[in-house]
Amino acid sequence: MLMQIAEPGESKIKEACKPRVVGIDLGTTNSLSAHVADAAPEVIDGDGGPLVPSVVHYAADGGVIVGRPAQARAIEAPHDTLASVKRLIGRGAKDLAAVRAMLPYELVGDDRAIRIRVAGGRRVVSPVEVSAEILRELKARAEAALGGPIEGAVITVPAYFDDAQRQATRDAGRLAGLEVMRLLAEPTAAAVAYGLDRGSTGTYAVFDLGGGTFDVSILKLVDGVFEVKATGGDSALGGDDLDRLIVMALIPAVADLDRRTIGAAVAEARRVKEALSDLALDKVTFELAVPADLPRAGSNGIVHQVLGQRGAQYVTVCDRLIDGQPTSAASDCTTCMPGRYRHDVTRAQLAEFAQPLLKRCGKACGRVLKDAELDKAELDGVILVGGSTRSPVVRDYVATWFARQPLCDLDPEQVVALGAAVQADVLAGGKQNVTLLDVVPLSLGIEMMGGVVEKLIHRNTTIPTGATQIFTTYADNQTGFDIHVVQGERETADACRSLARFVLRGVPPMVAGMGRVEITFLIDADGLLKVMAKELTTGKEASIEVVPSYGLSDEEVEQMLIDSFEHAEDDLARRNLAIERVEAERILAATRAAFASDAALLDDDVRAAGEAAMRDLEAAMAGTDYLAVRDKISALDVATKPFAQLRMNRAIAAQLHGVSLDDAARKVGV
Amino acid sequence: MASQFNSSGPPRDPAAADDRGLAPRAGGDDPFALLGLSPAYDVDLAALERAFFERSKQLHPDRMASAPAAERVAVLSRSRALNDAYQLIKKPIPRAEYLLARAGVTIGDNERLDPAFLMEILELREELAEARAAENTELVARLQGAMQARRTQALEALPGLFAASDMKAIKDRLIVLRYINRYLEECDAALDEA
Repeated sequence: MLMQIAEPGESKIKEACKPRVVGIDLGTTNSLSAHVADAAPEVIDGDGGPLVPSVVHYAADGGVIVGRPAQARAIEAPHDTLASVKRLIGRGAKDLAAVRAMLPYELVGDDRAIRIRVAGGRRVVSPVEVSAEILRELKARAEAALGGPIEGAVITVPAYFDDAQRQATRDAGRLAGLEVMRLLAEPTAAAVAYGLDRGSTGTYAVFDLGGGTFDVSILKLVDGVFEVKATGGDSALGGDDLDRLIVMALIPAVADLDRRTIGAAVAEARRVKEALSDLALDKVTFELAVPADLPRAGSNGIVHQVLGQRGAQYVTVCDRLIDGQPTSAASDCTTCMPGRYRHDVTRAQLAEFAQPLLKRCGKACGRVLKDAELDKAELDGVILVGGSTRSPVVRDYVATWFARQPLCDLDPEQVVALGAAVQADVLAGGKQNVTLLDVVPLSLGIEMMGGVVEKLIHRNTTIPTGATQIFTTYADNQTGFDIHVVQGERETADACRSLARFVLRGVPPMVAGMGRVEITFLIDADGLLKVMAKELTTGKEASIEVVPSYGLSDEEVEQMLIDSFEHAEDDLARRNLAIERVEAERILAATRAAFASDAALLDDDVRAAGEAAMRDLEAAMAGTDYLAVRDKISALDVATKPFAQLRMNRAIAAQLHGVSLDDAARKVGV
Repeated sequence: MASQFNSSGPPRDPAAADDRGLAPRAGGDDPFALLGLSPAYDVDLAALERAFFERSKQLHPDRMASAPAAERVAVLSRSRALNDAYQLIKKPIPRAEYLLARAGVTIGDNERLDPAFLMEILELREELAEARAAENTELVARLQGAMQARRTQALEALPGLFAASDMKAIKDRLIVLRYINRYLEECDAALDEA
């Protein structure tokens, strides 16, 4: 007995001594954090569960909202509500040409770095800043849950992220005020969580299909060592793409739609896709409101929305019509509503739409097995990671490709954060017996004369690593070296990712081939590159922490950090105001709806008090004091309490009598 | 076996450092010694992996994340040397090139090649380039298969040549293997494009 009494106190002391560190999965669609309490990692819960939608809303008044409340704004304010920003991080305009048309918001900026115009055009933000907002939200949640400041974080990145994307992610962490202890590859993190959970030993493939990225890694697990044998994938391939493929298949003329409708169509496609994850359903209806100003044509008194080529003969979108002709009497065609587009999607169709995407995944799987010099029969298992692997269409494909049932007993959306938490614990001096041997996902090299790439570090080399190579002058009396660092597998520099350029000057004039420069690449345990160059005849040195060709320079990050400290209080107030306003709007709408539908339950006093409270709340919303808004929300709550109580009683009574609410309302005489 | 090599490591000949596939050696560390092995071409890969995992547990920077900065830098460079040693010994060609260099034989940029082999590889490259241009992936895959067979054959000869310490023959094989590898890389690139 005494033992039991002593135990809680003891664990509290242990808890207090333990550094407060977390693992963060900064996802394309959702983000979350986890920590190691005693031995096993646990996800950190917040309002509505552990997942924070990776969505940031920038209000015109400067307020910033993150997560679910931001998501609620996506339809009405698509330009100012940023989702899937992970697809933009560390990238330039050139990389994004393909997805640009499908993004509901406005991209600005040059080839060096992408920026997004938000807040009704008043503000321009970088993907790094947007990601930092998500990280701040996760940090705040973790601090609330763990009861104190977060001292460090391991942030996960897709294994296939290149150096620029990794640097940008680290910058986002710094900007959010996090001590980034390590960037960790997502599939590796997932393998850690599985390895510890199941005590697995052997060689596993991790198939990680997220919202916007795809990784496949082959790992060997032996006695706490997790060695990545090879990794591959596509850092611009994910469930988001399937949403787009669905939209393109269902609405051939998608390019004619306005951005808001495209945004709604993509969101609807996602809903259909997710609904089809439920094995009980094999058909789900895709439904979309289409703006009335698109050209339309009538047929037998029913207006079919036109989604065909503008001005040309319309393509009907009603699934009851075949080749433009109704399959039954037009009056039966109830699915054809003005301004609405409906189309049934079966699971078989979804699988068909997903084919191009899944084929790309399969190709990457083939390549990574080849790199690991393994046959798929030699694997001990396949682990599914990422929200997109919830889809039976994806699972079936993986099962067929690898000829075995994949493992998915850990939540594919939580497993990465759990593994990251373990690694954070290890780095903070925890007792976990875990050693991670990760690799460089893409080869690193230097552009040579004629544009060809000389690789210094080959893909799938275990990190940390380094390489040194000597280069000679190309021309007589050449006095400098223009050093262009690139990453990728292609043979020419212009087909690879440009990471950095720098110049080493002061080479004494010599005959071609006599001037020599020694170039050293060093990669640390985060997978980040540092390049050094040394002119060998004079010993002159130049060294850079690769200043990314894309993304932000260190100075820019510093400046943002300074700005954010200066404006931290303002930002917090603005953020709170924005959150309270969203809440206020929700409550106002709900109250008005209830007043209208249940007028019979409303006596004059309560109605008057409620309306006064609503006016007060609206007045507070027009101001800038979030506390005032919060107060008025409470006041409205109090004023409408008797009414709410009546509604509640009636609902309970209706439940007890086994009648529906509608029937109950009719009986009351509404 | 070990005694016939100069234990001070290979000369830091710039030409040698320029060679492809020859991994860097931090501060002249002997990669075999780092893994507790004697330098030899014949390597028990399972034992090599065990040795690497055991040492990684001790040397990995994650184990020292809270150590003072200077110590962490030292750990990082030791960890790098260990990883690089493992990569070098694990793969037969870098391993062979290292042992050759250690014996004082280097492969330069303009080595003479058996003219018959040169002619043959030039023709094969032409055929590959045509297949690639015509997007004939079947032919590319066939050419790749044939070249992989040659690679296996060339590699299979190495243990015997090392046992006989026939450095000249080893060098010739390694030069041939460079051409073969470059050819195979091109096959991969062609198949990736498809």
